[in-house]
Amino acid sequence: MKFVYQVIITAVGAFVLQTFLPWWTGTIVAAGVGYYIGNNGLLSFFGGFLGIGLLWLGMALFIDVSTQSILTEKINRILPLNSILLTTLVGGLVGGFAALTGALLSKKQ
Amino acid sequence: MKIIKVGVSAFVTIGLIYFLNNSWNVGSPIPPLGKFLDPFHGFWKNAENVKIGDEVGQIPGLKERVVIVYDSVLIPHIYAQNDDDLYLAQGYITAKNRLWQMEFQTHAGAGRVSEIVGEAALDFDRGQRRLGMVYAAENSLKSMEADPVANSMVNAYTRGINAYIQSLDYESLPVEYKLLGYKPESWTNLKCGLLLKSMAKTLNLGEKDLEMTNALHLFGKETLDILYPDYEGASDPIVDNAGNWKFTPIALDSLPLALPDELVSLPPREKSSPDIGSNNWAVSGKKTKTGSPILCNDPHLELNLPSIWYVIHLNSPTVNVMGASLPGAPAVISGFNDSIAWGVTNAQRDLVDWYKIKFKDAAKNEYLSDGVWKPTKKAVEKFLFKNGESFYDTVVYTHHGPVPYDETYHGDDEKNHFAFRWIAHDPSEEIITFYKLNRGKNHEDYQRALDHYSSPAQNFVFASVSGDIAMRIQGKYPVRRKEEGKFLLDGTKTSTEWKAFIPNEQNVMHKNPTREFVSSANQYPADITYPYYVTATSFEDYRNRRINQRLAEINDITPQDLMDLQLDNYNLKAAESLPLFLSYLDSTQLKGSEAVAYQKLKSWNYYNSVESEGASYYEAWLRALLPMIWDEMAAEKPALDWPTTYMTFRFIKEKPDFSFFDIQGTPEKENAGDIIRKSFSEGVAVIDKWKEEKKKDPAWADYKDGYVQHLLRQEAFSYHIKHGGNGSIVNAHSRRNGPSWRMVVSLEKSGIKAWGIYPGGQSGNPGSPYYNNLLPLWTEGKYFSFHFTSSPELMQTSKMATLTLTPKK
Repeated sequence: MKFVYQVIITAVGAFVLQTFLPWWTGTIVAAGVGYYIGNNGLLSFFGGFLGIGLLWLGMALFIDVSTQSILTEKINRILPLNSILLTTLVGGLVGGFAALTGALLSKKQ
Repeated sequence: MKIIKVGVSAFVTIGLIYFLNNSWNVGSPIPPLGKFLDPFHGFWKNAENVKIGDEVGQIPGLKERVVIVYDSVLIPHIYAQNDDDLYLAQGYITAKNRLWQMEFQTHAGAGRVSEIVGEAALDFDRGQRRLGMVYAAENSLKSMEADPVANSMVNAYTRGINAYIQSLDYESLPVEYKLLGYKPESWTNLKCGLLLKSMAKTLNLGEKDLEMTNALHLFGKETLDILYPDYEGASDPIVDNAGNWKFTPIALDSLPLALPDELVSLPPREKSSPDIGSNNWAVSGKKTKTGSPILCNDPHLELNLPSIWYVIHLNSPTVNVMGASLPGAPAVISGFNDSIAWGVTNAQRDLVDWYKIKFKDAAKNEYLSDGVWKPTKKAVEKFLFKNGESFYDTVVYTHHGPVPYDETYHGDDEKNHFAFRWIAHDPSEEIITFYKLNRGKNHEDYQRALDHYSSPAQNFVFASVSGDIAMRIQGKYPVRRKEEGKFLLDGTKTSTEWKAFIPNEQNVMHKNPTREFVSSANQYPADITYPYYVTATSFEDYRNRRINQRLAEINDITPQDLMDLQLDNYNLKAAESLPLFLSYLDSTQLKGSEAVAYQKLKSWNYYNSVESEGASYYEAWLRALLPMIWDEMAAEKPALDWPTTYMTFRFIKEKPDFSFFDIQGTPEKENAGDIIRKSFSEGVAVIDKWKEEKKKDPAWADYKDGYVQHLLRQEAFSYHIKHGGNGSIVNAHSRRNGPSWRMVVSLEKSGIKAWGIYPGGQSGNPGSPYYNNLLPLWTEGKYFSFHFTSSPELMQTSKMATLTLTPKK
C-alpha cells in the first residue's frame, strides 16, 4: 500500500511543481516522498520511477492523442527510441534515482 | 555505509539531471533530453491543434489597439490604426509564426551558422563574411536609417519581433531551438538588412568571370564567341521596342578593353542553381473575360520549409495591401492593394566583377591603383562555435570591395588575389520601394516607387484597376563597354572600374504595349537596339517563348486560364530537340529496353506531367549527353562553365562536327551523332537501373523525386512530393527548386480578386497542422482564394481566430 501511496503522491506532487517549474523539480518531490514513505531502496526506486514515469507517460500520451501525433511522428524519426517510451524512461529514471536517494537517507542505521 | 550509499545515489541522480539538462555531441548532436522530453515544457508543447483560439496580448511600444484576424489557413489580417503599430504587429505576428527561420536565415547571412551547429559550418561562415555580406547589410542599414519613413518602419518591425522574443520561455520556444539547445537573441535592424542581402546573394550573384577568363585562355576568342555569344537570339525579349529607345545613353570614353590572358586556379565559386528564376506577366483588359487586367507572378526559388514566403494582409489608414512578405523584412514584396498589383522576377544581369589586385607585399597593407600604393582596410572577423571556442579571420578590403580568396581561404596561388565588386555592397533603399508600392494607386506611383530600387535587380510587372499594365527592369546597372564584365579585370587601373550607372529612366521598361500583355521569365531584357551593353551568366531560353506564345494565342482570359499557364508542363526544350536526337537513332537496330525507350520517347507529347515516362527518358538522356559533350570542361580546375543548353542544341544541329563533340578519352573522333547514340544508351541504362532499384516504372514525378527540405536538412521535417514540370518549363519545378509562390490577381473595378499558394504553410512549426497544409494544395495545382477586406468586421465569415494586441502600460 505504501508503494501505491508513493507512486500517487510523487505523481501528483510532481505534476503541481512541474506545471510551473523546470523539468527536474519533479525529482525534489520524488526524493521527499521517498524519504517520508520510507520504502526500502529497490521498492522506493520503482515507486519514484513509476510516479514520474507514469506522469510523463500520461502527459505525453494526452498531447499525442489530442494533436493526432503530429509532432510525435516526426520526433520519433529523429530520436533513436520512440519518443513516448523515451519520455517515460527519462522521467522514470530521474524519479527513481531521486526516490532511492530519499529512501536511503531515511534509513535508520 | 549509509552515507556512502546516499552519496552514490545522490551523485547518480544529480549527474543524471546534469546530463539530461545539457546538449551533447556524440558523433551526432543530442538535445538536452530531460528538457526536451519534459511533457510540461519540452518538444511536446510544440505540438499544436488544428483549432486555434482567440488570444489577447499586451505589447510594449504599441500606441493603439491592433486586431489580427487569422483566416482558415492562418494568414494574418492585421488591422492597425497607424503605421508604426502596423509594422510592429507585422514583426510580432511574423516572429510568432516564423521566429526560428528568421533568425536562422539572418545568422546564415551574417556567417554565424557555426554558433548554432558548430565548426562544420565554419567554411560557409567564412565565405559569407569574406563576400562582405555583413558589410553589405551595414551599408543598406545606413540608407534605411537615413530615410525617416524607412527608419520608423524598420524600427517598428524590429520592436514587434523583440516584443515576441521577450514573451518567450523555454516552453514556448520553437522546436528547433529545443532540438539544438540554444535560444533566440534580440532582433536588430541590421538583421533586416542581412535578410535582404541574402536575397541579393541568391538572385544577383550570377557571374562567370573566372570561368570566362579561363575559357578565353584555353580556347581563344573566336571559339569563345561561338560557345558563349552575348546574344543567343533565342528568346523573345522582355521589352521589344526595336528602334524606339529615344534617349541619349551615357557614353564612356571608349578605352579598348585589355583582355586578360591567364589561367586562374581558384576553385569554382558556389553558384545559384540555374533553376532559380521566375515568371511574371500581366494581360490587359482587352484580352480578359471581365475586361479588367490580370496579373500573375511565380518566383522560382529553392523550395524549403519553413517557406521563404509568409502571406500577410496589412491594413492601416494609409494602406490596405496583401501578398507575400519575406519573414525578416517589413511590408509586402509581391502582392496587391485596392488599386494595383505587382510581382517580381529576377533580372539576369552581370552585377559582379573581379579585379586582380597587386599587393605591395605579403602583408597586404597596400595595393597598387593608378601607380599609387593605396592602404587596404582589414576587417577582423570573429567566429564563435557552439562549444564556446572561437576562430578569427582577417578579410582584406580594397576600394573595390573585399578580397574573398587568399592563401588562408580557398586560394592556392598567393599571387592571385581578386577583389570582389558587387552591386549589393552599395547603399540601397529597397524598403522604401516596397513601402511606396504597397500604397501605390497608379502607374505613376509604381514608377516613383521603383526609382528607389537598386538591388537585387528585378523585373517588376504591374497592373492597375484603372487598366494599365507595365513592366520595368529595375536595378542599379553599371554602364558597361562592350565585353566589359565578362572577364577578370585589371585592378591596378581605375579606368577598368564602374564609372557610371544607367539612369533609372533609361532602364528597360514599357507600358500598355500593343500586344496587350507584358511578361518576363529571366530572358534577355531588350531587343538588340537597346543602346547599352547587356551581359549576364545566362538568359533563359525556353519558358519565356512558351509563355508569350500562350499569352498571344488565348483571349477572353479568365484567372483559371492563367493558373493553367502557371502550371503548364509543356517542355519546349524537348519539343525543339528530341525529334532531332531521335533522327540519329536507327530504331530498327534497337533492342530490349532501348527499343522500349525509343517508343516511349517517340510517342511522348512533350508534357512533363506527373505520369509521363517520356519525360524521364528525355531527362536521363540529356543528363548523359551534356557532360559527354562538354567533357573538355569537366575538371574542377581550371574552372569552366558549360555553354547553355540552347547553344549546345544549336551546335548539334548546325555544327555536327564541332571539335567539342569528340570525347577526349577515346581514340576515335566522335561527332554529334556518335555522342547522341552513346548518351542514349547511357541514359536508358540509368533508367533501367533506377527501375530495378525502385521496382516501378519511371513516371516523371517519381523519377524527379521533388523534395521540399527543412532549413536544417532535417529529414523528419521535410517532404517528398509528386509534381510535374521542370527547369525551362513554365511550371519550373525541378527536384529542389520551383515556383515558391504562385499569385493570380484580377484587378476588377468592383473589387480585386486574388488567389495564391505556396509549397509550405503559414506556420514555421513542424508541430503545427499549418506547417505544410498548403503543400498538398500546391502540389495538386490548387489555389487559395484570398480574403481581402478593409475591416475586421468583414472577416467574420472567414475568420478562424482573433489576436488582439493592446499597448502595455
